[in-house]
Amino acid sequence: MPSPLLNYLDWELSPAQQSVQRTVRAFVEEEALPLIADCFEAGRFPKELIPRLGALGLLGPTIPLDGPGADATSAGLICQELERGDSALRSFASVQGSLVMYPIWRYGSDEQKARYLPGMASGTIVGCFGLTEHDHGSDPARMETRAYPDGDGWVLNGVKMWITNAPLADVALIWAKVDEEGRDVVRGFLVEAGSPGYRVNEVHHKLSLRASATGEIVLEDCRVPGDAILPGVRGMRGPLSCLTEARFGIAFGVVGAAMACYESALEYAKSREQWGRPIAGFQLTQAKLVDALEWITQGQLVAYQLGRLKDAGRLTPQQVSLAKRANCRMALEVARSMRSILAGNGILLAYPVFRHMVNLETVFTYEGTHEIHTLILGADITGLEAYRG
Amino acid sequence: MNIIVCVKQVQDPETPASQFRVDEAAKKVIPPPGIPPTVNQYDANAIEAAVQLKEQHGGRITVISLGKDTARDAIKQALSMGCDAGLLIDDPAFEDADAYQTANVLAAAIKSVGDYDLILCGRQASDWDQAQVPQGLAELLGIPSVTPVAGIEVTGTTLRVKRLIEDGYEVLEVPMPALLAVSNEANQPRYPTLKGIMAAARAKVDVKSAADLGVNAVGRKVQLLRLYVPKVESQIEWITGETPEEQAANLARRLREERVI
Repeated sequence: MPSPLLNYLDWELSPAQQSVQRTVRAFVEEEALPLIADCFEAGRFPKELIPRLGALGLLGPTIPLDGPGADATSAGLICQELERGDSALRSFASVQGSLVMYPIWRYGSDEQKARYLPGMASGTIVGCFGLTEHDHGSDPARMETRAYPDGDGWVLNGVKMWITNAPLADVALIWAKVDEEGRDVVRGFLVEAGSPGYRVNEVHHKLSLRASATGEIVLEDCRVPGDAILPGVRGMRGPLSCLTEARFGIAFGVVGAAMACYESALEYAKSREQWGRPIAGFQLTQAKLVDALEWITQGQLVAYQLGRLKDAGRLTPQQVSLAKRANCRMALEVARSMRSILAGNGILLAYPVFRHMVNLETVFTYEGTHEIHTLILGADITGLEAYRG
Repeated sequence: MNIIVCVKQVQDPETPASQFRVDEAAKKVIPPPGIPPTVNQYDANAIEAAVQLKEQHGGRITVISLGKDTARDAIKQALSMGCDAGLLIDDPAFEDADAYQTANVLAAAIKSVGDYDLILCGRQASDWDQAQVPQGLAELLGIPSVTPVAGIEVTGTTLRVKRLIEDGYEVLEVPMPALLAVSNEANQPRYPTLKGIMAAARAKVDVKSAADLGVNAVGRKVQLLRLYVPKVESQIEWITGETPEEQAANLARRLREERVI
């Protein structure tokens, strides 16, 4: 039986949305949480969960394959509940669904959809998204990876860095510049693992997202067939539209991480006694818990409104930036504060708080850093773009 | 194989004790705010058993619930796990129905659904734990019943049923149609898939009143006299003594005085 849902302002999710949330929560509590601390310590992604994620329909949930896809809020709640387990689980699902399945569904050919989407939905095919490079994180438009036509195929050269799922991936969506009539245009290529000239180096010694598999993708005269190119999109609009999808999931996901920290600290504070009484009875502890509850509730409301806007077709990338920025900061602050309630015990993997806290340092930075989202919103409200030279 | 599963929506048994309230004057449990009711856990075992039988032998599963409009969610959960059709009996006259009245209206609902081979229920509901409805229902329908059930096999028109007994189980052969009240030992209910949840959200649940079924809320067998949360009082008495042996002797004396030993 999953733990009760944190719903302080008693908002109403639809019965289907509640059912989605309960199902993913039960799955995470019963099948993922027993593994996750060991995976984090060992620096291993729990691959054994991939078929389960697929069987439950949690990979690319909004993409209509055999039946209509889920509504946006349900998809967000999946992210929330996965990240309540660990950011690594949500990151895996975000990359698979938002960053690879979504562009294939939206921009791919019928052949590409048929080749990849069913397997990716079931988890038999794992995808990754190659946009970021060593020297180009916040300015991906300056990427150095290039592709040129060669015979009836393409040849890619470049190095992609910080690629979630790369060490597990069967197919990588690589964004590369192509010379089109003298102009560099960013195009997407579906590069299958095992293609000649394709190599992945796993990133080790991470202190965050240790249960996630991260890699560097090296493309050295990597040869792919002509039909590997995504036909339906040209320019940075392609990868940026995927990032908006993934950031939507993060806005929900980090609420889950914050919930896990709050719930752990609340339970701890009620049972941990100092001076002969539970520390939950002390005013300083209560203030921390109440702040956390308030911040999480605000974060939930931001996320749920984002879901409603997305389903109504009115969601803007700037609104997603606001939610990603606000909720990542919120979750990180909750995690740090809750860690202080657990005090010394808070640094142990026996409790989820420190694990979430260090994971959130990554989530705060990836998919658009906190600072870049600040500048996106700054440009939106002032009309002045600070990040252009 | 036509299977009928009876489900009940109950207050979430995970509700913290601090949020459990009773209105003693109205003799009712006050639902805790923010904690939605859930499918009775044994009924989830009955749903799972039905879906497994359907997977093995084919057929159709109809879910029936007596309850308020919110019980539609319980039926939808069953649909999301693989059941095919739902019927909600929503009638204010049955809001506080006792086990007999419940069995009576369920029997009428089952007759309205048509032919069946098997009826599955949870062995009891986690709200009142009376474990009366399944056997009463079988009696009213004139079919054999077994409870509590830990395993079901179908061979032709016969069921081989594993029934829990003290310190073990016995295997019974039961002709169909029959009613089985399923226990948690039978299976681990599956999680509904996202696809199942979305399909259930779109599915229509039939709603009938008792009048539609030709029954009324008479024949009550149980009168609720008083409903209250028992007060649990604990007292601590320190057993003293100069030596451990003396303390032990004093403890033994006190336990004997209290007739514990």
